[in-house]
Formats: sequence, structure tokens, C-alpha cells
Amino acid sequence: MDCTKTREMIQDHIDGRLSPDAAGAVRGHLGGCRPCAAEEEELRRVGDMLRLWSAVQVGERERKLSPLWTRVRAGIEERREPGLSRLLRRWFWVPAAAVVAVVALLFYPSDGTRAPFHPKSFDVTVESLESDTATVALVDKGEGLPRVIWIIENGKT
Amino acid sequence: MSEKEKGHPPDEDLVRGALAGDEGAFRDLMERYKRRAYGVARGIVGDPDEAQDVVQDAFVKAYYRLKDFRFGSNFYTWFYRLLVNQAIDRWRKTSRSPTVPFDDAWVSGETSDPEAMVYPKTPEELAENRQLSEGLTRAIAALPEYHRTVILLREVEGLAYEEIAGILDCSVGTVMSRLHYARAKLKGALKGFREG
Repeated sequence: MDCTKTREMIQDHIDGRLSPDAAGAVRGHLGGCRPCAAEEEELRRVGDMLRLWSAVQVGERERKLSPLWTRVRAGIEERREPGLSRLLRRWFWVPAAAVVAVVALLFYPSDGTRAPFHPKSFDVTVESLESDTATVALVDKGEGLPRVIWIIENGKT
Repeated sequence: MSEKEKGHPPDEDLVRGALAGDEGAFRDLMERYKRRAYGVARGIVGDPDEAQDVVQDAFVKAYYRLKDFRFGSNFYTWFYRLLVNQAIDRWRKTSRSPTVPFDDAWVSGETSDPEAMVYPKTPEELAENRQLSEGLTRAIAALPEYHRTVILLREVEGLAYEEIAGILDCSVGTVMSRLHYARAKLKGALKGFREG
């Protein structure tokens, strides 16, 4: 077997894909041809280095790979959620944005027909009430008669 | 030595258990393959955190697709197909420069004396040789994604050409040519080193 034929068969030889006869012929050539033997050795070294490289990468990650099951299980549970629940969670920003818009319009109406709803327009004081149950009241003392707008009863509103 | 020979339940038994609702069986499968899966994903996507995300997503996907597994075939080749597709998709989405120019000097180093270099024999020795270790990382990253996938599945995982062809949905001839190309490129990158 010549060098050209051997070089063509080296990869199959390394990967164990040659018939016993063909493998024997390649081995015979490699035994007497230093350049072809060096070629085979360099190709085998690629595999050796890759295996070591991979072992190093896995070893350096070992600590973070230990709790992988927790993350996988969370991923499984997340996908297990009912479709409607997932849909609501995905589109949660729509009602959230609507709430923000309503609050903004409440404080700063854009139609110009009424004054902005703003805390400064209130004259609110905290007063206690003579009652067995109510403990604190917020009282609007603006125009007209004082008006109770909030009662905090035993710590609950 | 197979898992059965080691006294561990074979993959197919664990798959059956997982399909019957035994979460522990699926966890055992994951524990059995997570390191190897990470090694493959790390080689394909490059970044360690991205690789771990890929492994995690692949196992979640596998859990829900387990009913598609054909008994009689290998679980790991079935799983690697999910993993490799996930890894290549992730790499394509996150990679800023799809092709890194290949440079043999990454490994050989211009200032290194090739005759003085000794090839490591253990992972610990390679870890200590930062120049070679980092050079290998860059050399692997410089390969086209399918080439590095093929050489990792062959050299690190020891899969047969036919198994790789099944995972990548290509012909055995394509596997051979990609492997030939990848080996030649990595051989060139390692050429500067000589055993002492």
C-alpha cells in the first residue's frame, strides 16, 4: 500500500471502520513510513486533546451542574401551566398599562373640562372619633361641612 | 461497561418509568447524561452559561417529548438530537460573529518553543496549560457549527458515523467529510506542539 492510499484510509482506520484485512494493510504501511505514522499520530492527538478539553470544561462547571434538576423541574412545571394562565401571564402588561392610564387621566384629565384631581386640593386632617369601634378617621375639611372620607377601625380600613 | 452491567437500570426502563409518571426516573436519566450533554453543548455554543441553559431546555423538551421516543433505539442519540438542535439554534441567535477566522497561532503561540511543549495527558494537566486550553477553545469555536458538532460527537462522545448522521439528519458521507475537515483544521492548530 502506498502513502496516497494510506492517507485516504487513515480516518477510517482511526475510527475503526476498516475491514480486518484493510486495517492490517494500513498498519503494515504505518510501521515502515514515518511521515504517514506521524500523520496518523497527529490526527489521533486531535481526539485526545478534544476529550481532555471537554473533561476540563465539564469539571469547571461541576458545581453549577449539581442543582440542574431544580431548574429542569421548574422548566417542566412552567410548561405544565394551563394555557389560559400562561396567556394571562404573557399579556399581564395590558391590564397593568390600562390601570396606569386610568390613574394618569384621573390626576391629569386631558379634556380640560374639570380641574386635575390632585391631593393639594384637599384639606384633610386626621381626627379621632368618639366610638367604641372606630379609632381614626380622615376628615375632608374643605368647602362646606366636614366630611369623613376614610375610617381606620382597629387597624383595619 | 453498560448501565445494566454497572447495576443501574437501563435507559429504556427509566424512560418507561418517566412515561408512567415517575419523576424520579426522569431525574435519573438527566443525572446520567447531564455532564456529557453539557460537554457537547459547551463545544457548540461556546459560552458556559449559554451551554447550561441549552442543556436545561433540552431536558425540559425531552420530558414533554418522551412519548415520541421509539423503544429499541438509543435514548442518548434521541436526546442528543434535541440537544444539538437546541445548541445550534442558540448559537445562531447569540453569536455576533458567525465565523471566527482560523489561526494556527492560537494554539502554537508565536513565542512558544514548539520543541519545549509537552502534550497534556490528563484534564488537570490541560487545565494548568492555559495557553493550550484557551487555544483549543478558540480553535473549536472557529470551526463551522456542524463541523464542530460532528467532531465532538465522534471524538468526545464516541458515536458511530451512522448515529451522528441520524442526529444531524444528514448522510454518512456528509459526516465523513465534515469530520475530515474538522480534524485537519484542529490538527493544524495543534501542530506547534511537540511531545517532550
